[in-house]
Amino acid sequence: MNKSVKPILLLNNFGFAFEGEKVLQGLNFSLNKGDFLYVVGPNGAGKSTLLKALLRLHERGEPTGEIVLKGRILAEYSRVELARLLSYVPQAEGWIPPFTVSAFVELSRFSYRKGGNSESSQTSREVVARALRATSMDKLAARPLWALSGGERQRAYVAAALAQEAEIMLLDEPTAFLDPRHAAELNQLLSRLNKTEGLTLICITHELNQAFAAENKILVLGEGSQLYFGETAGLLDGEILNRAFKYEFTIFRHPRHGCPVVLV
Amino acid sequence: MLRKKILWLGGICILLTGLSMFGGMSFIAPDAIFKWGSPDAEVFWRARMPRVVAAFLAGAGLSMAGMVFQAMFRNPLASPFTLGASSGASFGAALFFGLGAAGGGGLLASLGGMGAAFAGSLVSMLLVYLITRARGGFSTPVMLLAGVIINFFFSSLVMFIQYLSASYDALRIMHWLMGSLTGLDLLRLPDLCFVVLACALFLRRLASEIDLLLVGEELAASRGVEVKSVKLQLFGVSSLLVAAIVSVAGPIGFVGLMVPHFCRLWLGSAVTHRSLSVAVFLGGGCFLALCDLVARSVLAPAELPIGIVTALIGAPFFLWILFRCNKGGSAF
Repeated sequence: MNKSVKPILLLNNFGFAFEGEKVLQGLNFSLNKGDFLYVVGPNGAGKSTLLKALLRLHERGEPTGEIVLKGRILAEYSRVELARLLSYVPQAEGWIPPFTVSAFVELSRFSYRKGGNSESSQTSREVVARALRATSMDKLAARPLWALSGGERQRAYVAAALAQEAEIMLLDEPTAFLDPRHAAELNQLLSRLNKTEGLTLICITHELNQAFAAENKILVLGEGSQLYFGETAGLLDGEILNRAFKYEFTIFRHPRHGCPVVLV
Repeated sequence: MLRKKILWLGGICILLTGLSMFGGMSFIAPDAIFKWGSPDAEVFWRARMPRVVAAFLAGAGLSMAGMVFQAMFRNPLASPFTLGASSGASFGAALFFGLGAAGGGGLLASLGGMGAAFAGSLVSMLLVYLITRARGGFSTPVMLLAGVIINFFFSSLVMFIQYLSASYDALRIMHWLMGSLTGLDLLRLPDLCFVVLACALFLRRLASEIDLLLVGEELAASRGVEVKSVKLQLFGVSSLLVAAIVSVAGPIGFVGLMVPHFCRLWLGSAVTHRSLSVAVFLGGGCFLALCDLVARSVLAPAELPIGIVTALIGAPFFLWILFRCNKGGSAF
């Protein structure tokens, strides 16, 4: 590996506790620009806690260790600065905001209008249009969010995150409520953004086989600890996954890609 | 398209508000108002116009506050009154009429009824805020619950004072509680004007933040909003707005609840707060000015408290929202 490449994100013995109870501990990993990281692990392993810690969304709790984003401690960034580096795609379930797709995506330009910056509405419109095209949402731009299908709405959320023009995108189970076809389409969209735009992605998922696609990196969490970080091939013997999920998986080697395939 | 709708709405609102100045206990002909010294001109310039302006400002302010609270709490039924503002003000006023004025002298008497109401509503909203903060964070359900509890608490205190006070004072308290623009103090009009306009402009500047808070607090934070501080600013400024209005006009209910919904219906519910706030300001002002016209006319020469008019329209409307919520999942 090229030593001169500085990691875009670095976790140094990071941990997180709520009222003294540790929910995350000993996380050590780093990502370079353009990496695609999948975070897997059983429910309660700390995946969402990690994602929220990266986005500094925890109102309570005590972090330990450090997170370094682009050479600077995460806690030192202002909200507006952080918004230009990290974008967030929450689960598009539950509450549906009362906006049209384009108005919703436009809201992502907030950090370019605040904090001493004033972006022209021309620039803002261009970025929004590009994000909508990239996610094939341009034809649905004038629709209200509630008039979309689940898959379209999830794409609208990705478009909104994209319009933030941040270098890292964090996604919380983006395919959780999608049928297999829409899930596959969303995954294709994400990997296209990763390859063509050089976007760094961190994605929580329960879809193990999706996560194990060859070029991705994997972080396996179990009971708040980092059980594995690295290439997916390292999970072939199944021992780590079985330990994380406390379950005996059947694991094959994909005949063409060489990555693990999990049978439940 | 949207701009056109807002222009239409604005035009209609200003026209209706202007026209409402001519109606009331007696109709004043438009040509009479420039005959200086005539009784009609006196009534128009010294009584009607200031009163309609006050009604407009009160309606506009209460509606803006309602709009902010509905977005902040993501609850279509949130309004300045679900959050304790009115009960605190009522308590302040009740204390003044029931005890302060009767006792004569002292701090309370020097504050005056409006001052006491203003202080009361600020105290109640401060209590809501402190309770919310004591529970950690600045969580929305806690705040809503705190508002409801404070409401009950102050309402009971008001009843207690009413129970203890002489019948004349009890009547005055009751009249005040209904909300009325009858005894409007002209000297308070410039203050009200300043507070309402300043607060409304401030809230409009935070339109994008309000949009993002309506989407969700976590998403708002990830988009660059300092959620805690923005919520605090929104709550503080809206509270000030409500306190100032309630201290002048009494607790006029339902305006802050209804007007934002009317405007959403008119503009299409997928409207952002940049546009919505303008519509709500003008629409709210016009709505209350018209309610005041009704209050002045129906029982002429007597006057109906304006709070009764808004409540009579508001209660069925409240139910309608409730049913719409249940069916569609969301009234936004």
